Amino acid sequence: MAADLAGVGVGAAAPVDPDGVRMTWNAWPRSKVEASKCVIPVAASIAPIRASPSLLVLPYAPLRCKPPCAAVLNPFARVDFAAKIWICPLCFSRNQFPPHYAAMSETNVPGELYPQCTTVEYAPPPLDAAAAAVPPPVFLFVLDTCLIEEEMGFVKSAMRRAIGLLPDHALVGFVTFGTQVHLYELGFSDLSKIYVFRGTKEISKEQILDQLGLSAAGLRAGTAGAPGYPKARLEANGLLPSGSVNRFLLPASDCEYTLNALLDELQTDQWPVEAGNRALRCTGVAFSVAAGLLGACMPGTGARIIALVGGPCTEGPGMIVSKDLSEPVRSHKDLDKDAASHFHKAIKFYDSLAKQLVNQGHVLDLFASALDQVGVAEMKVVVERTGGLVVLAESFGHSVFKDSFKRIFEDGEQSLGLSFNGTLEINCSKDIKIQGVVGPCASLEKKGAVCADTVIGQGNTTSWRMCGLDRSTCLTAFFDISPSERSSQPGTTNPQLYIQFLTNYQNPEGQMRLRVTTVTRRWVDGSANTEELVEGFDQETAAVVLARYISLKMEMEEEFDATRWLDRSLIRLCSRFGDYRKDDPASFTLHPNFSIFPQFMFNLRRSQFVQVFNNSPDETAYFRMLLNRESITNSVVMIQPSLLSYSFNSPPAPALLDVASILVDRILLLDAYFSVVIFHGMTIAQWRNMGYQNQPEHQAFAQLLQAPQDDAQMIIRDRFPVPRLVICDQHGSQARFLLAKLNPSATYNSVHEVAPGSDVIFTDDVSLQVFCEHLQRLAVQS
Amino acid sequence: MGAPPSSQPFISPPPSSQPFMGPPSSRPFGGPPSSQPFGGPPSSQPFAGPRASQPFSVPPASQPFTGPLASQPFAGPPAAQPLSGLPASSQPFSGLPASQPFSGVPASQPFSGLPAPQPFSGVPASQPFSGLPASRPFSGLPASQPFSGLPASQPYMAPPTPFPGPPTSSSPFGTPSWQSPAQQGMPPMPGTTQAPPRMFGMPPHTPGQTMAPVPPVMGHSPLAGHQVSTQSKIDPNQIPRPVSSTSVPLFETRQGNQANIPPPATSDFIVKDNGNCSPRLMRCTMNQIPCTGDLLSTSSMPLALMVQPFALPHPSEEPIQVVDFGESGPLRCSRCKGYMNPFMRFVDQGRQFVCNLCGFTNETPRDYYCNLGPDGRRRDADERPELCRGTVEFVATKEYMVRDPMPAVFFFVIDVSMNAIQTGATAAACTAINQALADLPEGPRTMVGIATFDSSIHFYNLKRASQQPLMLIVPDIQDVYTPLHTDLIVPLTECRQNLEQLLDGIPNMFENNRVAESAFGAAIKAAFLAMKPTGGKLLVFQSVLPSVGIGSLFSREAEGRTNVSSGDKEAHKLLQPGDKTLKTMAIEFAEYQVCVDIFLTTQTFVDIASISVVPRTTGGQVYYYYPFSVLSDPAKLYNDLRWNISRPQGFEAVMRIRCSQGLQVQEYSGNFCKRIPTDIDLPAIDCDKTIMVTFKHDDKFQEGSECAFQCALLYTTVYGQRRIRIINLSLPCTSMLSNLFRSADLDSQFTCFLKQAANGIPASPLSQVREQITNLCINILCSYRKFCATVSSSGQLILPEALKLLPLYTLALVKSIGLRNDGRLDDRSYWVSRSASLSIPMAFPLVYPRMISIHDLASKEDDGSLLSATIPLSSEHINDDGIYLLENGEDGLIYVGNMVNPDTVQRIFGVSSVDGIPTQLVLQHFDNDLSKKLNDVVDETRRQRCSYLRLRLCRKGDPSGLFFLSYMVEDKIPGGLSYVEFLVQVHRQIQTKMA
Repeated sequence: MAADLAGVGVGAAAPVDPDGVRMTWNAWPRSKVEASKCVIPVAASIAPIRASPSLLVLPYAPLRCKPPCAAVLNPFARVDFAAKIWICPLCFSRNQFPPHYAAMSETNVPGELYPQCTTVEYAPPPLDAAAAAVPPPVFLFVLDTCLIEEEMGFVKSAMRRAIGLLPDHALVGFVTFGTQVHLYELGFSDLSKIYVFRGTKEISKEQILDQLGLSAAGLRAGTAGAPGYPKARLEANGLLPSGSVNRFLLPASDCEYTLNALLDELQTDQWPVEAGNRALRCTGVAFSVAAGLLGACMPGTGARIIALVGGPCTEGPGMIVSKDLSEPVRSHKDLDKDAASHFHKAIKFYDSLAKQLVNQGHVLDLFASALDQVGVAEMKVVVERTGGLVVLAESFGHSVFKDSFKRIFEDGEQSLGLSFNGTLEINCSKDIKIQGVVGPCASLEKKGAVCADTVIGQGNTTSWRMCGLDRSTCLTAFFDISPSERSSQPGTTNPQLYIQFLTNYQNPEGQMRLRVTTVTRRWVDGSANTEELVEGFDQETAAVVLARYISLKMEMEEEFDATRWLDRSLIRLCSRFGDYRKDDPASFTLHPNFSIFPQFMFNLRRSQFVQVFNNSPDETAYFRMLLNRESITNSVVMIQPSLLSYSFNSPPAPALLDVASILVDRILLLDAYFSVVIFHGMTIAQWRNMGYQNQPEHQAFAQLLQAPQDDAQMIIRDRFPVPRLVICDQHGSQARFLLAKLNPSATYNSVHEVAPGSDVIFTDDVSLQVFCEHLQRLAVQS
Repeated sequence: MGAPPSSQPFISPPPSSQPFMGPPSSRPFGGPPSSQPFGGPPSSQPFAGPRASQPFSVPPASQPFTGPLASQPFAGPPAAQPLSGLPASSQPFSGLPASQPFSGVPASQPFSGLPAPQPFSGVPASQPFSGLPASRPFSGLPASQPFSGLPASQPYMAPPTPFPGPPTSSSPFGTPSWQSPAQQGMPPMPGTTQAPPRMFGMPPHTPGQTMAPVPPVMGHSPLAGHQVSTQSKIDPNQIPRPVSSTSVPLFETRQGNQANIPPPATSDFIVKDNGNCSPRLMRCTMNQIPCTGDLLSTSSMPLALMVQPFALPHPSEEPIQVVDFGESGPLRCSRCKGYMNPFMRFVDQGRQFVCNLCGFTNETPRDYYCNLGPDGRRRDADERPELCRGTVEFVATKEYMVRDPMPAVFFFVIDVSMNAIQTGATAAACTAINQALADLPEGPRTMVGIATFDSSIHFYNLKRASQQPLMLIVPDIQDVYTPLHTDLIVPLTECRQNLEQLLDGIPNMFENNRVAESAFGAAIKAAFLAMKPTGGKLLVFQSVLPSVGIGSLFSREAEGRTNVSSGDKEAHKLLQPGDKTLKTMAIEFAEYQVCVDIFLTTQTFVDIASISVVPRTTGGQVYYYYPFSVLSDPAKLYNDLRWNISRPQGFEAVMRIRCSQGLQVQEYSGNFCKRIPTDIDLPAIDCDKTIMVTFKHDDKFQEGSECAFQCALLYTTVYGQRRIRIINLSLPCTSMLSNLFRSADLDSQFTCFLKQAANGIPASPLSQVREQITNLCINILCSYRKFCATVSSSGQLILPEALKLLPLYTLALVKSIGLRNDGRLDDRSYWVSRSASLSIPMAFPLVYPRMISIHDLASKEDDGSLLSATIPLSSEHINDDGIYLLENGEDGLIYVGNMVNPDTVQRIFGVSSVDGIPTQLVLQHFDNDLSKKLNDVVDETRRQRCSYLRLRLCRKGDPSGLFFLSYMVEDKIPGGLSYVEFLVQVHRQIQTKMA
């Protein structure tokens, strides 16, 4: 049975989905009770602006249903062409078509009504010239200077490259920080002018704007229109157009030289660091200053704070550890025991910072490069709420940072398609309530009738802000089913349910777009129709949703036993949907739609998401942020890495994620999402060390060596953040990157059974086989 | 009055090309070697001056100055004085390269060189200053320093030997000769003399003869008994007025083991220190100390010391010697910690010494032992400066340092707010600083920093070898901080070029600044934080009322105006600091040795009452340019700044006055910070600052004993040496009131009144202060009248000779800016703040300015006494066809009558009519005798006052003319008496009290 389970590779094709929407259940139980029996929550994963070649872009404004529904006209609407009336599938309201739809007929329907166009994008022409003017994107670099010289060199060259890649019209600002925060006034030509903020003191946005001469009054003067304000008065207050934020944010083409000159001169922080102490680093104040500065920008300007951080915040708000080196940075153990003295204060600070940035619609990207922790766990809230990017590397010289950083600014195929100012609205059929959304977004606190009582993630709202989003951004919406009395009456029911996702965003070119995705799924009535439910189960999505859900629970709930919870859920699921005779483990089988789910759970139990103690809180936070924002396919790889095997005799083939896949004459390519491992079997390694690949007669060997390299590059090229590439040999120290992910089917306890040339894993963990045996036994228990 | 008491602080203002420069031949150093170095020809006039100039005085017999000339120590001309041992041509100045005191070597440099100067040698080659760039050839000086040639400190180079002792050894220590018992002509031991002290300028008398000097009385004045109706009979020309003398007497501080009465502080004299300190350094209100407190209170006179520890010496005086006791440090009394001085008495064959301050008997340390001569003095007393000089400096040991001596740090803070930019104040400040950089002490220990501010504070990182400076802005003005750990304050040598460029650039950089707010308090706080590790001088250029940030102020003037109308009961509160924050800040500054000087280049109210707290607490001072004029003020600003940074001064100083048992210090008054009761902290102390110390009795003195005062000033020189300057004054004690009056010191007493009045102004209503001051005067005169004068002529106003000018000065004080009703708040506050640290020689012109006529200058003898022909401050002496110069040490008012000969106007001002003269007066040089002489007079005054006179034109008939006339203190003014009326009033009140 276990072998069967493993045999169904992860390569199994995901359901083709033009909408970028994947659900745990594609057939929804009609009642709350039924839904709870389904164990796996009803949830949808949405990639709001994923790239789609067939996307239809409509150059006009959408038709909306009457409030409060406000759903957009979609192919599922019933249209009465004669009466020029459409009936909203979500609320069943009747809406009159406006006059400009007069030419519409059965044979001449507008794009949004094409049946295959469940996803369309509206690009309405701007209302006036002012709206047409595309505000340039803003890149505000916030650079840590408490670095060693070498790291400083790396980060400077990364910055230089980035500045070179910026579009000319993009506005650039520059902040450095160490013991104090330095904000560079790039528009001051006489000499280098720097505003200095102290690192110890929390300053509000208003204070920052005041101190920079950018307070509200100043900006009014800056926009020069300022009706009702006699110019003389403004001048008397010292507020001239020079008071505008453009002093600090300059078009890249204008300040490239200045910035490069500044980078040339930039030194590491000059404040003394006492022996036995960490450098004083006021990351929190630096972020406040950056956020405050951007607060003076026009609302709606797409702006990113690009933070390059090389160590923990040791001073001022957001501090995660004291400067005293004898105090280690908090670990999971400390967090569990509530012994991390700075943690809650820091979280509170970053939470308020997140609120400010979300209000302003600006993004915080975090590039943390340090051997020790820098406080990603605390800053997670800001990055995630604003939809920022996050990269965690061990050095600014490491390719994980270098290449990822470059990707942000690159154009073309590899570009991330960074977009700004996204808002997501969800409309759904009556009996569906929204519990919340997990992923890189923040609630806009627009409460509506469709909000569920129970909240998961960002809940209690029907609208979410995604300050920053890109093509791969993915959100998970959790639904609750609460049928009203009336709708459960037979006859009046619609067998289909509808959900509409509306995503308003500013695309990389700066234009405002509205993407509308309307999906429909089937209701399943009654408890008898298990078959229908089973048919509609998406086990990959279910595994990922469960991983996201359990990560959230682990963060939110104290003393939450994740492993136990997972085991119980899995057992319940198997009891519910498995085929078996009671109390006969051997009779247990699972429908193919469920068949690899136990294996996902086995790997999830062993993954970094559940077994956090192998990682620092920073790493855990990092992994979870990416888990929450990546697509289902990518997330599945995070939970259960994919393994490819290369040998002379056969083409590259998926291999079991099992220690048994290790053979001396094979090369394995493991994609664990965060790292890509190329593992050479012992014989291959010996051959390679002897240089056979360089001999013309062994060209096949050279090709064999090269093939996994090429495939690894393929993976790396498309992935953000760039994964760490590990090349190792069997029995080498680096081999642990592979071994840690493999099913320990052979351990030191089972040495005698192991085939020669294979490997063993030194662990007491149970293997997948043992896990499945137990599962079968427990699932069939009456 | 004519000779330079000090070195020359001023050079020409930047914009004009050397306007003060006379023809080179007129320079003392430019001329032949035989030319007189003292600026005036040696006068043969006895110090007492012509008797005829005291027409008011009493019969010759009672005239104290009438003793036989031969008995007057200063009777002879300088050439006949001890100096005369050297031929005139061998005077050290003549052939020597003139040292440049203000071009890098302040006058105090003589002390900073070798520890053991060789004062006896007289050989230039043994100059103690060899470690310094002391002597500078005159010829090598930049031409832009026209005053540089004056004989400022070079007399130290090779002083003549005015010492009576045999110049046997070229070094006071280290040679065997000092151990030699051979001493001749040893003066008697202090305190043992039986001879009655012979007072300076007094005929001999016997102590018992209390009434011996018949006091000068107002003769058979018709005043007596009759009052107003007879006033006309008083000849206003007969009443006491100050007279000036042009002679330069030699003053020996002690003679015949007695303290001598010093000459007037405003006169020119050469001090020979033979036990007591120079009166310039420390001067007592009375030259005999009352034995009991009762006697003192009977006299009604104040007992106070005026201490000016860095007072500029006369060029011919011997420099203060530096004594190095090695690692053990200076020898001190083990009980009171008083320092070894000439009045410590060695007993038991020199094995013990008795402290003259506390009376404790100390063991003489073995290596300091020396046996005594037959006169009871140590045989080496004349070779050891600390045993024969009133003033010495000890080299401080580690014990006297809490850290290494601080470097000379100068931090400039400039207001760049809209007003400052638009009035040209910023540009003036930048130019002044830029030019003054050349005058900063040279060497690697001189550090500079700069910041500007409006509603935020801008620092500049100057330490950037190749690039332009970096501007660092501190925007948080409520809670300031320093933006860099290092590089804000850098050695001048490393940043000179950068700094100059920056100073050139600042006015342009802020050209369009529209920020009207000024964060003065925050700026100085931030600058302080940058200076905190070192301390140093913080020079602030402020142009408007500090309106934002910590220590911000509001326009109390407006409030004041409304209050004045409702009665001035509360008006004085506006002269108190409005903000406590500044005081708290100032105390912190002082703690970290930061001294703040503030240059107020303003056209509006800036609340000096509040601002001045900072300099006052930190040993700094306020400079006030109101209303700031870009035309006439930059020159003064520059010269003030230049003098500020180049004058003799010390840093991180602590001062304590000790006195003999029987007295105790009551209060210190001046610009300092006091954290513990006994000491005062002076982040900086310079030659212009005076500290008043008042005393009270806590015991009795024995008649015939002496009361000693010792000022100990521990400080760091600009070159980073730690020194202890010890200033000793020992005065005889008396139980006779007449002795007190005879030895009263008008100069000190008046200065004391001035400071008391200044202290009182913020505390009580003006009328009350005026009354107090008048009463002080009346009480003293009354006491004299009651206990010392002959009873016969009860109707006469009898004035003690020593204090005969007291009524005049009191009247002048009552009418001065600070005590006038009609003054602006800031003017009054400035007056108060200036008075607080004012020295005696400067106190007089402030209150009783000097007026001379200039229309007839050309006809006056050019004998160096141009300034001495002063005119009484009475409008009777002002003619409509005359032009007059009135100077109070800071401002010069040129008054032009309405009937002046147009030719004279043309010659002086270069315009043909009075109306054509610009009000913003910049004195021009014209090629005629009158213009030259006027310029000479102005230059001479500037030099004397160490202050660049700001000239102002006053025209008869204009408000400016009325302003000028308000200085005529002898006139009757609305609400103020004329001099004659005042005398009558004083007399009447004395009579009332007597009755």
